[in-house]
Amino acid sequence: MNAFVDDYEKISKRQRTLETNDPLDRLIALVNTAKDKIHDDPNSVQTALTGLGKMVKSVSSSIQDDHKELQSSLSKFTKALDKKYSCDMMAAMNPRAFDNKEKLLQKTIALHFIRQGNFTIGDAFAKEAGLDVPDELRHQFMDMFDIVAAMKTDDLEPALQWAKLHRPELEKRGSSLEFKLHRQRFLQLLKQKKDKLAIEYAQTHFGYFGFRHTAEISRLMCSVLFMGRLMTSPYADLLTPGTAADIQHMFTRDFCSLIGLSCESPLYLSVTVGTQALPAMIKMASIMKAKKAEWSQESEMAVESNLTDDTKFHSIFVCPVSKEQATDDNPPMMMVCGHVICKESLQKLCRGSQNLRFKCPYCPQESMASQAKNVYF
Amino acid sequence: MNKITNHDQLLQLEHPFVKIPLEKFKSSLKVSQKHIEKEISTLTNTVSDISKKSQQGDMNPAEVEKALEAIVHRLSNLKRRLKDTRAEESLYSQRTKVRLQHLQEFTTIPTLDSDGFGRWSRVRLNRILVDYMLREGFRETAALLAKSEGIEEMVDIELFVQSRKVEQALQRFSCTECLQWCHENKSNLKKIKSTLEFSLREQEFIELVRKRQTQEAIAYARKHLIVWQETHMREIKKVMGLLAFPPSTNCQPYKGLYDASRWKKLIARFRADNFALQCFTPEPILNVTLQAGLSALKTPMCYIDEHRNVNCPVCDGETLGALATDLPLSHHLNSTIVCRISGQIMNEDNLPMVLPNGYVYSYNALMEMASMNNGKATCPRTGAVYDISQIKKVFIS
Repeated sequence: MNAFVDDYEKISKRQRTLETNDPLDRLIALVNTAKDKIHDDPNSVQTALTGLGKMVKSVSSSIQDDHKELQSSLSKFTKALDKKYSCDMMAAMNPRAFDNKEKLLQKTIALHFIRQGNFTIGDAFAKEAGLDVPDELRHQFMDMFDIVAAMKTDDLEPALQWAKLHRPELEKRGSSLEFKLHRQRFLQLLKQKKDKLAIEYAQTHFGYFGFRHTAEISRLMCSVLFMGRLMTSPYADLLTPGTAADIQHMFTRDFCSLIGLSCESPLYLSVTVGTQALPAMIKMASIMKAKKAEWSQESEMAVESNLTDDTKFHSIFVCPVSKEQATDDNPPMMMVCGHVICKESLQKLCRGSQNLRFKCPYCPQESMASQAKNVYF
Repeated sequence: MNKITNHDQLLQLEHPFVKIPLEKFKSSLKVSQKHIEKEISTLTNTVSDISKKSQQGDMNPAEVEKALEAIVHRLSNLKRRLKDTRAEESLYSQRTKVRLQHLQEFTTIPTLDSDGFGRWSRVRLNRILVDYMLREGFRETAALLAKSEGIEEMVDIELFVQSRKVEQALQRFSCTECLQWCHENKSNLKKIKSTLEFSLREQEFIELVRKRQTQEAIAYARKHLIVWQETHMREIKKVMGLLAFPPSTNCQPYKGLYDASRWKKLIARFRADNFALQCFTPEPILNVTLQAGLSALKTPMCYIDEHRNVNCPVCDGETLGALATDLPLSHHLNSTIVCRISGQIMNEDNLPMVLPNGYVYSYNALMEMASMNNGKATCPRTGAVYDISQIKKVFIS
């Protein structure tokens, strides 16, 4: 890509010279000079005209050359770009799959903007597309973005109030958001060198969390000793600039989870995953096309997409023996040794008999099908 | 760390993004080239003509002066005319540059987890959303979004203005604007072997027959249909047959020719040809990418209530889940086991453990639960309580 950017820079320079230093001006100037010369001295008509004829010829051929050069370098550039980057994106899609589902897609888009805190665009889009956006959701996200905005200015109070209000739900989810917020406030005070206030703050607020966060609290209290030179102390990690952003992320995640929504916009997530998945899908589609083989697109994709861990949401068990995905009729079974295979594979290994001893395909241990147990992921 | 190893492959998806302004730049250069060539050849001819005439004494110095003045006038006219195309050239050249730089920025992003990737992807999502809105006719929101995100140079709002007019005209059952457009893009349409113009002519003929203006219809066919006889004789024969049938006919194919749905098809064909000429993909990039993403995420579990995961886009049956119903499921060669307590992936760092009831959870989640509950772990799906010593390793290969 760097080479393309550099090449293009040359082209755009040429274009700019054409624009600012218009060769037509040169032609006009030439004709004007000849005209003035004839006006001043009518006898010089012949010499002026021959001179003009020559000049016009040379200038106009240089204009045409400039133009042609620009055009040819541009078409060369386009060809190189096409060669390196063109691909048949449409081969990887089913143009009918979203038929009559425009409204669903538009609703997803409107919700996306609201989830991003972009209420102006969300409302404009909903209006233009004729959609109803649930008011409740809108208000919830407005609250959330108000709190986040406050956090960005180091004001943790609204977030703390929210966390305290939802303490039981948060604790049920194993979230330590409330403690993390108090911790952050404590560190803020310490950074401002208000050790007395910090200790007072700890006395009022840390008590409740003593049971769950003992180690962290003693660490925090000890850091008071190094106030003013924390950066060179064993407690330098407490001041890393990322913590404020982390806690904001934690807050939005918990907030969304409490109202039963994902922490990332589903549209953003799907499109980002799609971008990662597309190149392999396009390649597969073009190979299929070249071989004139048809992949029954109906049920399953032809290639595996390498999802990152944070975009894997469901357990998928692929039987290591048959390479088939487990289903309700063919569930995963654990043998006595702890290895898991699918029921059908198990039936084959024991040759249909419940009490025949057979060796596990992955370890030396022998067991019987009757001893195998269903497992649930 | 999720390293990005296929920058170039990912950039392939952005080919149209650069190609659109680049082609505009090229075609506008062609226009100015044509003007200049024409004007320069007349210029050299006139100068040599004047020179000849004055040599032969057919022109006196005053007349020469006047002739030269006329040349200056013509050149200034050309300059004015070129001003528009020059402005267009510089606009699209600038856009190409901005877009190339945006793509270059992408090549400097090392991992999918970096902040840079998040920022870049959000810009990308916004620009493909603007593209979607423009195609679907939501022009106000499109302009608002482009402006508020500062991505005006990465979207092609004005390219939709003309096509919108043509589409609206077709919706009003008027072919005039579309025929005009065909005329303007004649050579390019020929290149992509478009037969849109023939279909438009056919439609105008049908409309004349519908009004029972038989004479006019025949005259129209002589003038506009017969030029297509080499390639479209069959269609011409068919449509001429229409003269024998009234609009109320139930006889096929004539009933179909009279049908209003033909106008919808014309709009679709105009869109397809227009997108092809301007290097737009036939379907919005949003749809292409979203389909790929939904397929990659879709599992049979997404549609079973007890297996739903709030964080999974496809599990939302009211929006993306419903959108994904006709898409293929993801394909898996290896097992992925996700902990139903913590949402974390189970692997060698966080081993899968099975409870006596056969339910599997991650080691970390069970241990954390046990540490806070006196060594007891509760199965969240069945409510059964076990001592942490009862958990057993399970091997997933």
